[in-house]
Amino acid sequence: MTAAPAIVRAGLRGAELAAGLRDLLGSEKVLWAREDLLLYEYDGAVDTAMPDAVVLPGDTADVARLARFCAEHGVPLVPRGAGTGLSGGSIPVEGGVVISFARMSRILEIDAPNLRAVVQPGLVNLHLSTAAAPHGLYFVPDPSSQKACTLGGNVAENSGGPHTLAYGVTTNHVTGLELVLSDGTIVRLGGKALEYDGYDLVGTFVGSEGTLGIVTEITVKLTPLPEDKRTLMAAFPTMDDASNTVSAIIGAGIVPSAMEMMDQLSTQAVEASVGAGYPLDAGGILLLEVDGVRDGLDDLLERIEAICRAAHAQELRVATTALERDKLWAGRKGAFAAMGRLASDYYVQDGVIPRTKLPQVLRHVIDVGERYGLRIANVFHAGDGNLHPLIMFDGSKGPAEVERVKEAGREILEMCIEVGGSITGEHGVGMEKNCYMPLQYSPIDMAVMRRVKDAFDPSGLANPGKVFPTPGRCKEFSLHAAR
Amino acid sequence: MPRAERPGSPEACAELLHACERDRHSVRVRGGGTKDHLGTRRETDVTLETAGLDGIVDHVPEDLTVTVRGGMRFAALQAALATHGQFLPLDPPHTRRGATVGGIIAANSSGFGRYRFGAVRDLLLGVRAALPDGTVARAGGRVVKNVAGYDLNKLFTGSLGTLGVIVEATFKILPIPPATRAAAAVFASSADAFAAADALVRTSLRPTALVVEHADRRWRLVVAAAGERAPVDRAMDELARVAAAKGAAVEAIADPEATLGPLRELVDLSPTGVIIRAALPLSAQAAYAEAAARGERTAHIVADAASAIVHVHLMEGADAVAAETIVATARVLGGSARIERGAIAGLATFSGPEPSGAFLMRRLKDAFDPHGILEPARGALG
Repeated sequence: MTAAPAIVRAGLRGAELAAGLRDLLGSEKVLWAREDLLLYEYDGAVDTAMPDAVVLPGDTADVARLARFCAEHGVPLVPRGAGTGLSGGSIPVEGGVVISFARMSRILEIDAPNLRAVVQPGLVNLHLSTAAAPHGLYFVPDPSSQKACTLGGNVAENSGGPHTLAYGVTTNHVTGLELVLSDGTIVRLGGKALEYDGYDLVGTFVGSEGTLGIVTEITVKLTPLPEDKRTLMAAFPTMDDASNTVSAIIGAGIVPSAMEMMDQLSTQAVEASVGAGYPLDAGGILLLEVDGVRDGLDDLLERIEAICRAAHAQELRVATTALERDKLWAGRKGAFAAMGRLASDYYVQDGVIPRTKLPQVLRHVIDVGERYGLRIANVFHAGDGNLHPLIMFDGSKGPAEVERVKEAGREILEMCIEVGGSITGEHGVGMEKNCYMPLQYSPIDMAVMRRVKDAFDPSGLANPGKVFPTPGRCKEFSLHAAR
Repeated sequence: MPRAERPGSPEACAELLHACERDRHSVRVRGGGTKDHLGTRRETDVTLETAGLDGIVDHVPEDLTVTVRGGMRFAALQAALATHGQFLPLDPPHTRRGATVGGIIAANSSGFGRYRFGAVRDLLLGVRAALPDGTVARAGGRVVKNVAGYDLNKLFTGSLGTLGVIVEATFKILPIPPATRAAAAVFASSADAFAAADALVRTSLRPTALVVEHADRRWRLVVAAAGERAPVDRAMDELARVAAAKGAAVEAIADPEATLGPLRELVDLSPTGVIIRAALPLSAQAAYAEAAARGERTAHIVADAASAIVHVHLMEGADAVAAETIVATARVLGGSARIERGAIAGLATFSGPEPSGAFLMRRLKDAFDPHGILEPARGALG
């Protein structure tokens, strides 16, 4: 773990700031003791930074008062859900206030007739689907962290998950937002219908990583639960075989609801920790799911099995009970956590590539691992071409080791861009990849994004140091790139 | 008469815009010219025609993505994709009259397949836009998942040409489904028709069209399904079941497009009078349609009942008050509405209060088009 270099921005900080916040909101809504703040200096990625204070608002009015106060005193605002983010989005890299939504975590309304729910940003993703289930409905985006991650974080990062292949990511499921801008203005955008007059600011905001404002209420689509589903685990001798299977399935006109791939290193870690029943001798496995009405599902499954066999599958296992299905999925969803058995730390990348480039890019990932002497596991959304190479390392070796790991990660991302892809598919740019944005976008493209930033957040206090390259931290990167 | 310009490349398009900005010449963007009815019409100095920005830039069938120039006709794109057994799963209106890809994005045109496949905002992966400052900016990418930077695809979708000219777009595409079937049932009331539609929405059937049509005092539900044969047959069975429960008989439709096409082309096929387009919360549709149907000038209602997009056609002779009442009702019910086409004096496309967040929209407009040369008065900000 590395502490980000302190960036000094003029404004109220430290004890004085904490005292001001206590006067403003009451001491029960403010944390300022060092031992409390320590819990908010990290997220799921590798960078850390200490906030000056943490605020736990009780409602939108609290957030608006806080924002007005911070605007007046030049204090950065960094929203935080569960801190499960994988790009440093909730790290207060320029200090200031971290806003925890732990006390704004309610479901305000399950509106089953309209297939909508209205929720607060601190609501845990899985809790929404649990609450909607009695109505025969669920919330589609299902990040692996869904037992902990929050809807506010999902909106900020435009989160995906294994089941977004056929049904879309967070932005496809949000129809309304309430925001607090960095000057304290409260704005409501969209609603329960699909269209409202004017620009689609809901869509523009989703995925903006807290840099355009703070979400205080979210209206989402709920989707009828599938009548039935079939889950298949297919094991292959090599990753190439598994990759070719993915292309062949899509090429046959089949869009499964999920199509996940894991390499041998991953399955071995998962078997040791979860015991999902994956074969240990397979070079690569695919986890596939098809769902919908039950009519025709078995035929579809048979077609998929035939394609797998033609691509040299060594083992095919269909879950026959809900328990078996859950077990197969537990392996996939617990994969990141299982890596703890292989190394003390890991750094996960999130590049996206055209599906047809899977074999080529996966070979490059292996090559990078060999050249750097780093073990890299691959657990990812193959149907979307969204890679998750997990680079394992030992953080106790110090900052130089972390830098080496980041460099290996950069080489992987450069390849993703080279084949026409993206540096991030669902984890966000945050402060982890903001220096890499120029790999993907020209200065003109970035200037246009800056116009959007300035329209929403002219003061620049909304989650500073994220998404856009920062001169201080990214100089180092350009030096690396120049060498 | 506005001066017509037809730039032949994205760069030429940007240069033209920059020259217009310098000379403070106002610009209307025109693709196939099929949506001149939409938005407040004010004569501009220049008409920028996108016909010179034509053709497919990149199509990798195995990746299920396609990149095209903004001026390409939608019908030509579909024909090209069809030779690979693929299609862009949008079914917007006006495509036979020459609607272009850029125009469809700018107007956020959608059809009945929206519930199953998504609208423009769900299928658009990337755009390149020529801007009044003379630059060509890219947003998004060519892969199906991408959260790097802001999602400006959403900002351009439905912006009616007020922010920039869409010179290139990348879409998700799909294989053409092997089977399609459609059927219709006539119900006694709006409530029954929408209840039947709603019952089908609350399943895994995912119909490709679920349309409630009101004309000649009848409420007709048209259902289409596409995909593998078994689930498509099941959808037809379920329609028969929900219709029977309301005492309605089901009639098979041999040629689904022959039935759905005219419903989709309500604007083109009803050349006179006023057409209102409302987007509503799902459960508000029955009451809304019923209220609209009571108007003595209401000729025709076509509702995409799965996405709650309702079109109301008022015959010639309808007054502005009647039209604005139907618009206002949508707002009262928690939705929105606009005059899609109207030829009555004093009837504006967007009426009523400014949209929520208008001050942010205005800031964005000023940031992209500081001198206001692009499509003045056409958007919701007036």
